Amino acid sequence: MRRLSGNAAVFVLSAALVGAIGWLEGTRPGGLSLPRLTAGLVTLDLLIRAGVFTIILVGLNLLMGYAGQVSLGQAAFYGMGAFFSAIFTVKARQVGIPLTLSGAWWWPWVVMGLGAALVGGFAYLIGWVILRLRGHYLAMATLGLGVAVFIILRENLGLSRLDLTGGFDGVVGIPRLRVGTYPLWPLHRYFFLVWSFALAAVALGLNIVDSRLGRALRAIHHSQVAAETLGVNVPRYKAQIFATSAALAALAGSLYAHFQAAVVPATFGFVPSLELVLMSAVGGMASIWGAPLGALAILLLEELLRTRLRLLLPGTGGELEAVAFGLLLILVLLFWPRGLAGRASGPLRRPIPTGGAGQSVRPAGVPRA
Amino acid sequence: MSRRMCGSAEAAEPRLRRRRSRFLARLLLAAVIPVLLAAFPSSSTASHIYKIGFIASITGPGASLGEPERDVARLLQDQLTSARGVVGPDRVRHAVEILIFDDQSRADTAASLARRLINEEKVVLLVAGTLSGPSLAMVPIATEGRTPMISMASARAIIEDPQTKRARPWIFKPVPENLHSAQKQAEYLKAIGATSVCHLYENTAYGQDTFASAGAIFPAAGITIVYGDAFDRTATEFPQVARVRASGCRAVVIGSIPPAASVINVAVRERAAQVRIVHGHGACSPDLIKTAGAAAERTVMPCGKILVADQLPAGDPVKTLNLKFISDFRRFTGGREISTFAGHAFDSLQWALIALRNLPDGLSLERQRDAAREALETKVKRWAGTHGFYTLSPEDHLGWKAEEFAFVTVQGGKFLILPRDQWK
Amino acid sequence: MRRVGSGGPHPPPEEAVRTATEQAIGVRQVSSPRRSLPAGQWLGGVLVLLVIGLVLWGRRHGFGLADYLQFLVDGLQAGAIYTLVALGFVVVHRVTGIINFAQGAFVMLGPMVTITIYGRGWPLPPAVRLLLAAGLAAGLTAVVGVAVYRLAVHPARGASLLTRIMITVGAYVALQGVALLLWGPRSYVLPAFSTLQMADRTFLVGDVLFKAQSLWIWVTAGVTLALLALFFERTILGKAMRACAADRLAARLVGVRVDTMATVAFGLAAVLGAVAGIVVGPLTRPAYDMGLEIGLKGFVAAVMGGLVSFQGAVAGALLLGVLETLWAGVTLAGFKDLFAFVVLILVLLVRPHGVAGGEEEVGGS
Repeated sequence: MRRLSGNAAVFVLSAALVGAIGWLEGTRPGGLSLPRLTAGLVTLDLLIRAGVFTIILVGLNLLMGYAGQVSLGQAAFYGMGAFFSAIFTVKARQVGIPLTLSGAWWWPWVVMGLGAALVGGFAYLIGWVILRLRGHYLAMATLGLGVAVFIILRENLGLSRLDLTGGFDGVVGIPRLRVGTYPLWPLHRYFFLVWSFALAAVALGLNIVDSRLGRALRAIHHSQVAAETLGVNVPRYKAQIFATSAALAALAGSLYAHFQAAVVPATFGFVPSLELVLMSAVGGMASIWGAPLGALAILLLEELLRTRLRLLLPGTGGELEAVAFGLLLILVLLFWPRGLAGRASGPLRRPIPTGGAGQSVRPAGVPRA
Repeated sequence: MSRRMCGSAEAAEPRLRRRRSRFLARLLLAAVIPVLLAAFPSSSTASHIYKIGFIASITGPGASLGEPERDVARLLQDQLTSARGVVGPDRVRHAVEILIFDDQSRADTAASLARRLINEEKVVLLVAGTLSGPSLAMVPIATEGRTPMISMASARAIIEDPQTKRARPWIFKPVPENLHSAQKQAEYLKAIGATSVCHLYENTAYGQDTFASAGAIFPAAGITIVYGDAFDRTATEFPQVARVRASGCRAVVIGSIPPAASVINVAVRERAAQVRIVHGHGACSPDLIKTAGAAAERTVMPCGKILVADQLPAGDPVKTLNLKFISDFRRFTGGREISTFAGHAFDSLQWALIALRNLPDGLSLERQRDAAREALETKVKRWAGTHGFYTLSPEDHLGWKAEEFAFVTVQGGKFLILPRDQWK
Repeated sequence: MRRVGSGGPHPPPEEAVRTATEQAIGVRQVSSPRRSLPAGQWLGGVLVLLVIGLVLWGRRHGFGLADYLQFLVDGLQAGAIYTLVALGFVVVHRVTGIINFAQGAFVMLGPMVTITIYGRGWPLPPAVRLLLAAGLAAGLTAVVGVAVYRLAVHPARGASLLTRIMITVGAYVALQGVALLLWGPRSYVLPAFSTLQMADRTFLVGDVLFKAQSLWIWVTAGVTLALLALFFERTILGKAMRACAADRLAARLVGVRVDTMATVAFGLAAVLGAVAGIVVGPLTRPAYDMGLEIGLKGFVAAVMGGLVSFQGAVAGALLLGVLETLWAGVTLAGFKDLFAFVVLILVLLVRPHGVAGGEEEVGGS
């Protein structure tokens, strides 16, 4: 219970912070603004992207940190959501949606919801099959799934005549969201929207963790056999959490699409999937709060290098940023091996059935419980 | 002792280690925070400085294109600094600062950078986008930010809305398109009587676009593509060549950029020696000869004039401009060879400077951006650039025709202009 | 990383720890051959049908025997390259349980360093110069590999496996960045070994074209495999590494230093990667970013082979190379990677521990 109330406090605090930042940027009292207060480092753009990633990472943390199932293909669901929104808003006529529907203000919202639901359903079906795999093999299968989706998007779904995904160049001209006639734009309004979703995702995550599903997941993580013996329907729970994480990623994708107004498949390939896991590891995957922390930390680090490195070492281009990013990443992971939110350890934690003696037989590959 | 043994972690003294890592973490933070809090120097908003936001793909898959572009931006910054900026129509001198950023060849990074440059850095205009993906991602941001953007990528969709076929008001580019290449290729193929051709393209945005463009242009010229397929940029085997042989086409059109263009060129030569090879303008780079060697001999391609500037007729302003640019670039980079991509950066930045030279003093930022956009549409008339002459207008934000291409062939390890009467 | 009793009968408690340890490092379960034999036949059937289907489809383009043999030769060339890359993944995974994403960087460093040293124009015959350059490059890459382990992975030994895997991702990013700083984004040319020039020697056997470089690749892959087998079978160090892979606790009890073994594994993987990069160098045009895709393919091959056995890696790599080439020649090459990953997922689903894994104990033989 203590933890719950702690969570509630942090949650309220975060919501207040979001409100304060949104208000500050919306009104800019006395010329004060977020970039100015943070010496040019933090912009709304950065916070919005962090919000989008938070939504994905909540799902990923549930999947990896709680259920112990590694996914190296999460960007695929992110991309499916983004392209679903892009295709059904920009190319609505091409796919046979009448203008009366696609012109309405609520249409993008319907598409967004539908996209998340369909991607979740797709992941549920896939999940039944591939979640039978474990460890590196599951990681590999999800990686394969991610690459496969990326290639299908890149190759125009195999229907080059229809040109729905636009191939490598993607889709441009995705409309801004609005409610009735009230546009959720400029940035500070969109910031509110994205962080409302992000905080809702965090709340959902916290609830799942403390629900029957969460307990089942922890049981599976702890020992799948024990969970099975106790009558936990392991495949179903695994598929459920896989579907939840996929639906969250798809939702994030839709929000990203309406934010950037342009999507290209390369944003959702193998490297972005890897980056999501990195963010999760940096934030702390065994904690729901690791999601916003990881997203903010990585984006801030990138921004820091991009804007500050050139001050330290004048005349450097992007090359040094890449080196510094890699090295700092290693440092962060070395110093916070359980992530910034780091309470428990990662998904590969495996409890040892015996006590003290058992501790010493854990192979190097298995961290302390 | 046990620490050095098998179970690495478990026997280590956890508390000690945790304390040590905490100490190191604090040390790291102590190093990072001062940097983080350092004032952001380029936020000096002195109105007499014009800022150009320059975004190129300096790392990632586009790096071989973006790096020379970055070097051109640095070169021009040097020249601008020593010339003490630009002089406006009212004879007021303004310093010019080119802010160079790397988009990592990624669309999301490019979009963020464009926002930062437009909203925080208050640039007058953007010269942004080495690749079409990042360029397209920046299009909506520049349009909403009402900031002129000059892209260095080739896709038509950058300057024209593919849905409405109308020019995007804020976006410009001096880069020839694959449609132009396809036109020249079709003329050549017709002249040599190759009516059935194969098309091999690298699996990138550029390659896909060459194939789509060929499909749009060739049939009208009576040329059939009997086989077309992609290949991976990093492939080492090319089973596609078997299809080329089986399909009996007389010429292979390759849509690729070196080094991939070179590797496939070698593969086609090895296994289908008698087939003619026609490259697209992406292959126009000394790298083609350097990385394909003898296999590149007798291949043909449409190229920007910068590649064969020394062979242009004397007195051609395009020749004069190119020769000067090439010698400046070589001096600046320590003798590196010019690429057509460096030319795109040069043209884009020159357009930006033309716009700045037409800004009267004392305008607000919004007015500066408006005026810059208008200057681009009205002041770039029969302007000599690295790829020939350009004439911009409100309807045409490229202002360049396929006739401006030089059609070249590789002979003795050199690019030579291939006059029309020698097409056979 | 696999947990107690992953499928199959549950082991009795006293064996649980040992079995868990084995599973954690990817040793195949004792109970699975019984289940996987029919599954294996099923998989074999599917793959054979796939090949027949592709061959029949190819008839539509008028392909003859020579074309198919050409695909086979090309595919075996690709497979041999994937093999060399995959072996690096297997060596590291067997000893440490880590998937080393920096492997791709090792593959890139090999040819890049070779080209740089070769290009320095030391007054030696070109062939000697190339050999020396390759040797130095492999050695230097080994140093980098050891450094990656000692400086980045080893200090995080208390962290979760995934964290350490992510550290290797960081190492990859940093190494690629360093390469970009050193060599720029340009591509370089590594001369073909037979001609010491860019153009390679080719010869026709019937209607099938062979490249001299392919022979170099096959010979290198074969020799490497033989040397690895010798190393793991005949040397104390190799046996110690095998012991570590089989049972860390037991290995430690008999005095094997597992950290040292892990260091050796990273060094060995780096050499394997560098060698792979060097022999493939003349076929492609090495550049700072060549590691990502070739590394990913090698990884796929290693996983198809089960990640722990060398034979598995070889089988997975050759299968991947041949199927991929056949697919690209017969259908749409743009979907080549899609096909590769679909085959991978199929293999994993039918035989969750790879195509070869199985009866044999984890070992070099």
